[in-house]
Amino acid sequence: MSDMMPSGPATPFAENRAPTDWTSRAMTRRIRRRYAAERRFRFFGLAAVILSACFLAFLLITMVSNGLGGFMRHEVRVPIDFARAELNVTPEQLRGRGADLALAGAGLEELTGNAARAAFGPNGADALATSAWTEVRKALKDDPSLVGRSAAISLPVNADIESAIKGSGSPEAEALLSRITAADALDSGFDGGFLTEADATDSTAVGIWGAVKGSLFTMLVTLVIAFPIGVLSAVYLEEYAPRNRWTDLIEVSINNLAAVPSIIFGLLGLAVFLSVFHLPRSASLVGGLTLALMIMPVIVIASRNAIKAVPPSIRDAALGVGASRVQVVFHHVLPLALPGILTGTIIGMARALGETAPLLMIGMRAFIATPPGGVTDPATVLPVQIFLWSDQVGRGFVERTSAAIIVLLAFLLAMNALAIYLRNRFETRW
Amino acid sequence: MSSLALLFIICGLGLIAWLTARARAARFATRGPDRRHSLPGQHGWYMAMWTAIPALLFLGIWASVSPALVTQEVLEAPAAQSLPSFGFQRDSILAEARAIAGGDTFGAFNDEAAALAPAYGAAQSRYAWIGTALTLLLAFAGGAYAYSRVSPAFRARTRVERSVMILLLIASLIAILTTVGIFVSLLVESARFFSVVPITDFLFGTHWSPQVISSTDPGESLGAVPLFWGTFFIGAVIAMIVAIPFGLMSAIYLTQYAAPSVRKWMKPVLEILAGVPTVVYGYFAALTVAPAVRDFAVAIGFEYASAESALAAGLVMGVMIIPFVSSMADDSIAAVPSAMRDGSLAMGATRSETITKVLLPASLPGVVAGMLLAVSRAIGETMIVVMAASGAATITLNPFESATTVTKQIVDLLTGEAAFDSPKTLAAFALGLTLFLITFLLNIVALRVVKKYREAYE
Repeated sequence: MSDMMPSGPATPFAENRAPTDWTSRAMTRRIRRRYAAERRFRFFGLAAVILSACFLAFLLITMVSNGLGGFMRHEVRVPIDFARAELNVTPEQLRGRGADLALAGAGLEELTGNAARAAFGPNGADALATSAWTEVRKALKDDPSLVGRSAAISLPVNADIESAIKGSGSPEAEALLSRITAADALDSGFDGGFLTEADATDSTAVGIWGAVKGSLFTMLVTLVIAFPIGVLSAVYLEEYAPRNRWTDLIEVSINNLAAVPSIIFGLLGLAVFLSVFHLPRSASLVGGLTLALMIMPVIVIASRNAIKAVPPSIRDAALGVGASRVQVVFHHVLPLALPGILTGTIIGMARALGETAPLLMIGMRAFIATPPGGVTDPATVLPVQIFLWSDQVGRGFVERTSAAIIVLLAFLLAMNALAIYLRNRFETRW
Repeated sequence: MSSLALLFIICGLGLIAWLTARARAARFATRGPDRRHSLPGQHGWYMAMWTAIPALLFLGIWASVSPALVTQEVLEAPAAQSLPSFGFQRDSILAEARAIAGGDTFGAFNDEAAALAPAYGAAQSRYAWIGTALTLLLAFAGGAYAYSRVSPAFRARTRVERSVMILLLIASLIAILTTVGIFVSLLVESARFFSVVPITDFLFGTHWSPQVISSTDPGESLGAVPLFWGTFFIGAVIAMIVAIPFGLMSAIYLTQYAAPSVRKWMKPVLEILAGVPTVVYGYFAALTVAPAVRDFAVAIGFEYASAESALAAGLVMGVMIIPFVSSMADDSIAAVPSAMRDGSLAMGATRSETITKVLLPASLPGVVAGMLLAVSRAIGETMIVVMAASGAATITLNPFESATTVTKQIVDLLTGEAAFDSPKTLAAFALGLTLFLITFLLNIVALRVVKKYREAYE
């Protein structure tokens, strides 16, 4: 740097310097230092990548190890002697459609409780979940010949025993649990109800089907609204729009909408769809509309890139044989751009599926125990269900929450994998 | 008839119209002096549009107008004379009568409702029939008009293409409408808020406790400075301390050092971090990270470490932002011409010297813009702070203490039980407006910088 200072007579600086002695101690030390710095820098880079990947791995492993238990339930095998209980039904009655009717007044609830008391002592019935007798009914319907004999049936335990199994139950539950384990009657099995039931107050009886169905309805509304609008406005901006201030304004709004925080869309939905248009509160319809506005810019941007990638020669050829501009777009450009458009749409839908904050704003945080039947019914979605359960750490919901997270992540990974597959399979380079 | 069924009927009529006009146009001559101007399909679309669009428009308007008309007519019925004039009770009786008439419920809670139900049913069915008849009439009239114009010389193609053009324009205007809708709705509600609370109290007040709002001086407990500070502290300081080094170094390693096969696998892995739903991060932060942070703080000697510390929320948010920073840095480093890199390497600089002295300075505007976008994303992030940050508004520099953010307060204010026009709920819209303006500014600046910079090397 000092060479640039105008000091002394102007001489070519090469003459002022002795040739560099690359083998001198100072020089080799300097080079060693530089190489060490290089190695350090490279190591930091590698460490950053590996640590970031470790964060992800740690997150996933925590969720999976917490959540696998949420798909399981503990069961006790209770021996029930149907022959002595005199159920007043015949195997023939249980084969037809009248099975439920025949069993309705048969006192299965009492029978189940009595059997548990007989097996595990006076408070034995306290071990069972309140819905345990429905399992007995199901067993009878599956195998009507049970009526005349006795059998051991696996019944779900309630939340008290669940927590005792994890070592944090009340003394009574611990004592009961030790009697059950002494009888070697404790089992664990896959909990099908978790996938087919809706929300409930008892952590042993909850399921995610209500939330999954709500998510499906919401996604349907989102797709039906965001996809056509997004694709059509991308077509307009790429193929028709004149370059003027209006189209600049449209472009700027789209780019900014893509970066507006999602909770702001929730405020919009609350102020416009609920307060002005009086659409039903906490319905998938409003959730879908809100999310559609949120992901529309994503679809527009992806579609524009896909349309831009279609080479002009195809448009020119079509125009050359007499096609109109609408025909060029709808017969040639859009079909060729479709894979790119679909990839962008799937990524946008994946974002909408994982979104929670805007849906909290429009009231989709209610306790909903029946799956919605349509888009205007009160509904909840999977991420909101996770949020609601996450508040109830003390009541045995930790495993259930993590299990629901596993289901949500599985959906998202599947959607992203589909997007990547589409991109690789149909990507064309002209 | 339900509007859904009517919708299907109109679509069916549109299909029939399309087939009819197409079949008729197909019989026109294709050559000679009176050959047809447009293709049969274009005639079909013309007639289908005239059949379906006016009818659908009418159906939409009717669906939003007819409930008011029905209520109007019910109020003129003799049974309505005994209704209380008080608004809320009157509304609930009417709602119940409507439910009974619709068959949604069995018993009536109010006797008046049961008395009104038949009037309601009659009015509803009458207006439903009027609506159906008018809709079908419009569909047939429109179809007939279009059919009468189908002739060889008729320029159906021009008409259809102009309509498509209008449709495309409307679709692209929705983005502007949404932006305007956001701005207007936030502004209107905020204006109501600022008519009660002075804007200076809100922007410069340092005391935030919306649970108890004094009726004489509501601004006294609605000072948002602690929220702005907490948002800045969590989103722009702590999260960025995590995200920038990790994001930048990952981008540098993946673009400059990593073998193509490593890069091919690691890039999607990092992108998964951005695809994990924020509610999952929030749960992870609240359940795993926050207790660990508190234990750590206690171990190094902080007695009053909070379980809902700013650090826990900020750390997890930083991890979430990593892929965002890294992909922006990746893009802007890749945009530096390779001649600059090769020149530096040829002069004998090591790779790290090339990166820190040539590539990074050259790509600095892009990297900075990426960081601005990352900050705007972090301060708008909601679920992590809702689940892991505290509700207590404090101004602190200690990351182990609790802090709260704008987005967390918006959620808290709007999910309470308060009425919709109390200062408490309206404050949420004022916070939303502030958040919107700040992120909007950050985005505009960042997008400008990116745009200007990208053109520099081309």
